[in-house]
Formats: sequence, C-alpha cells, structure tokens
Amino acid sequence: MTEQKRLLSKKEVNQSHLIWYLAAETNNSYERLQAPSFCAAMARNLRKIYPNDEDYKEALQRHLEFYNTEGTIGSVVVGIALAMEEEKAKGNLTGDVITGIKLGLMGPIAGIGDTLIWGMSKAILLGLACTFALQGSPIALIFPPMFSILIFVLGRYTCNLGYKLGSEAVPKLLKSGTMNTLITAASVLGLFMMGALSASYVKVATPLNWVISSTGAAIGLQANLDAILPGMLQLLAIFGIYWYFTHKGQNYIKLVLTILLISIVAAFFGILG
Amino acid sequence: MSVLLIAVVSGLLYFLGTSRIGYGLSSAIGAPVTLGFVFGLMFGDPIKGLILGASINLLYLGVVFTGGNVPSDGCLAACIAIPVAFQLNLDVDTAVTIAVPFGILGSFIDQIRRTSNLIWLHKADDCAAKGDQKGIYWCAMIYPTIVAFAIRFIPVFVINMFGANVVQTILTYLPQFIITGLSVAGGILPAIGFAVIIMSIGRKELLPYFFMGFFAVKYLNVGTMACAVFGICIAALMYFKSNKKGEVA
Repeated sequence: MTEQKRLLSKKEVNQSHLIWYLAAETNNSYERLQAPSFCAAMARNLRKIYPNDEDYKEALQRHLEFYNTEGTIGSVVVGIALAMEEEKAKGNLTGDVITGIKLGLMGPIAGIGDTLIWGMSKAILLGLACTFALQGSPIALIFPPMFSILIFVLGRYTCNLGYKLGSEAVPKLLKSGTMNTLITAASVLGLFMMGALSASYVKVATPLNWVISSTGAAIGLQANLDAILPGMLQLLAIFGIYWYFTHKGQNYIKLVLTILLISIVAAFFGILG
Repeated sequence: MSVLLIAVVSGLLYFLGTSRIGYGLSSAIGAPVTLGFVFGLMFGDPIKGLILGASINLLYLGVVFTGGNVPSDGCLAACIAIPVAFQLNLDVDTAVTIAVPFGILGSFIDQIRRTSNLIWLHKADDCAAKGDQKGIYWCAMIYPTIVAFAIRFIPVFVINMFGANVVQTILTYLPQFIITGLSVAGGILPAIGFAVIIMSIGRKELLPYFFMGFFAVKYLNVGTMACAVFGICIAALMYFKSNKKGEVA
C-alpha cells in the first residue's frame, strides 16, 4: 500500500497545509467550529481528485461537517483526509468512513496538541521571553516567532506524514510505544518548566507580622513560612486552583472572579499584600 | 502624541494580535510581551514597553484555548493597559492591575466573533453546493477577517480614546485596599495557567518533576533559561532510557 503511486505531489499537499495553517481558526464558529477552514484546506486538491463536478461538490460538503481539533498535530488529519479521498475516488471506501476517521482522531489529537503545543510549548517559550524582557533585554523578541515557526514546521511535517501513511498507520502510530515515550518525555520537560515558571512568576505573600513585646522587634509571618518551605503560599494557590478545576468544574470566569474577590477581601484585612 | 493616533494603533495591534490568521502566527504578534515592545517603540521607551508587556504576559502564560474557547484575552489586556500606562506614567504593578479586568472582557469579544462567523459558515454551505472553490476560501478566511477587524478594532479604539482619563479618575477615587487587592490577584492569576497545564498533562506520577523545577528556583536560584536547559536534558534522558527498554523487551 505504501508503494502505491500517489496522485498529489508534495507541493500540493503543502498547499493544503498552508491554507490550513492560515485559516484554521479564522472561521471558527459555534455551530461547526473549524469545518469551513478544513474544507478550504481540502478544496483545491479535492478538485484534482474529483474532476467530476458532482463528486467534487459532495466532497466539499463532506468536509463542511462539524470538525474541531488542535491545528498543529491536527495537520496530520488534513494529510490523512487527502489520502482517503484519493482512495474514495478509486472506489475503495465510502464518504462516511472518512468522516468517521476525522471525528475519531480529532479528540485524541486535540488532547495531545493542546497540552504539548498550546500549553507547554507556548508557556515555555513565552515564559523565557518574559524572563529576558523583565531584565530589559530585547533577546526576549526571538521567542514569540519561534512559537509560530514551530507550529508551521511541525504542522507541515505531520500533514505530509498523514498523507504518506494514511488512515491505518497514523492511529497505530499515535498509540505506539515511541509516541508514548515522546509524550512522557515532553510531559517531564513541561512539568519541570511549569515548576520553575510558577516559582518565579506566581506571587503570593503575607504582610502579617507580630511584635515581640520585650524587644520591640517585628517578626514577619512570611519569613517564618519561607524558613519552613519557601513558596508554600504559591504552591497552595496553584494546587488550590488545581483542586478547584478537578472538583468544581472548569468555569474559568467564575474562578477568576473568585480569585479577585478573595484577593480584595484579603487585602482589606491585610492578610495578603 | 495625539490620543487619536494611540487609539488607532492600539486598535490595529489588537486586530493583528487576535486575527487568528496563521495558526500560531497572530498569537505571537498578540503576545503582550511583543505588543509591549511595539508600544514601547511608539512611546520612545522600548525597554519599559518590554517590561510592561512581560508583566502582563505572565498573567496569560498558561492560557489554553481548549475547544476554541478563549477563557481570557491577554492581547486585549495589553492593548489597553500598556498605552494607558505609558500615557499616565504608571508603575508596572498598576498596569497589571488595569490589565486584569480587560483580560476577562476579551473572552466576550471572541464570543461575538464566533457567533458572527455563523453567517460565513452558511454561505460556505452554498458555495460547496455550487462547487465554488474560491467562494469557500472567501468564507473561510476573507469575510471572517473583515468582520473580525470591525469587532476587534472598534472597542479598543473607543476605550483608548477615553481610557487614560477614565483610568486616571478611577485610580484617584478607588480605595487603596481595592488597588492592593487587584495587585494581589495579579500575583495569583498566573497560577491558573500553570494549574491548567499540570491538569492537562494529567500525569500525577510525574508531579515530582514539577517540584524539582519549583525548588530549583526557590532553593538554588536557578534562572528560567538554565531550567529550560536542564529540563531538556532530563527529558532527553527519560526518552532515550525508556526507548532502549522498549527494544530489550
């Protein structure tokens, strides 16, 4: 199967990726999310796959159905869909198989991509940018473009990979041991960096202190907490929020408002500041 | 510098930063640290701009748009707080304080955009039925971007036209404990992003690595860049070690 003559050149597959890269989120709506963007990415190559007008229209409509995933790793699905449409044109499979594969892959891929790309990579690169920027160093400016380039290059690679391997190999690859090890290693890096960034950039401290009557010296509560375990209040904040999200649902706005309220009340009583 | 020019530039930057053209491209433009530098150039102090931008960016480091939802909008926060901070010569803490409420407001602006995109989605349906490839491109990219320009530009333009004066007045009358409270919140809010990432990685057995990073900074004062270097080494060791194990088994 892998040695079969393929219809689309690398340049044509790259064209689909380029449109996907440019448009993945521009027409994200509440009804079908990334559907029009996916359809646009497919449009030109579908014309080549289906010279017949009726088949072409049907294919366009098929890719306007509900779809949403993470775009970088998700570029693999654009490649897979192209390969599958090619098979369909030969009469080897039906349209609902293509839709089924897309819907089946989008969830797991969104999970991997959101975590690795939008969670970790973005936080790490922009975290480094902030570190340099806070020292007043323009070196900061090299990190944000690195994020865009990472997404483009990785997306182009996965899109071509998807087209080359097709619908059977990619799900296997996603479940393979190597992929698992790669994700574990990335998670280690991610957690390590989240620890480092939290320690630097989450700030919670208490101004509470008490005066020893005999000497008149003031002892700060924060200094005492730091002596036991530095960053205790920061960890409390992070894992308090973690607990909130895992037990009380993921209502972001409610959480932000709760934090605002707690902060203002704590500031009023001089507990935090 | 005229307020009109500031408002126009802010509006344009907010559009560029949130146009979502290029997966990961507009996010890099719209990162508050980038915007800070650009505003800094405009106001003649790029280094101050970088510092303001970075301080605001920290609030949004870990924000992930899960399912396309924008839980808070650092770009809007930056496009309002940074120009206001330059005009009023505010310190960094106060600028971050101003950024907080606008970050929340931004998530509503994105909801308007995603609702308006329904129009182009249904137009795309018609184009598909006609086999109109060019029409699909327009519906997927061009029309939504034109509408997004209006949705993004106008509010930021209007807020910046009056922003500095209003903020000046508010800061004068706001009780001190509220300002302190907002600044306390500014210190806690970055924790949301980190908590979300820890949660989405979802590997409780790997949490010791989080604490290693945390206490490397707290006890050993290791810098963030150094942490990245060591972190990559640890991750590489993990990868090579367990891949080898796989081969043996």
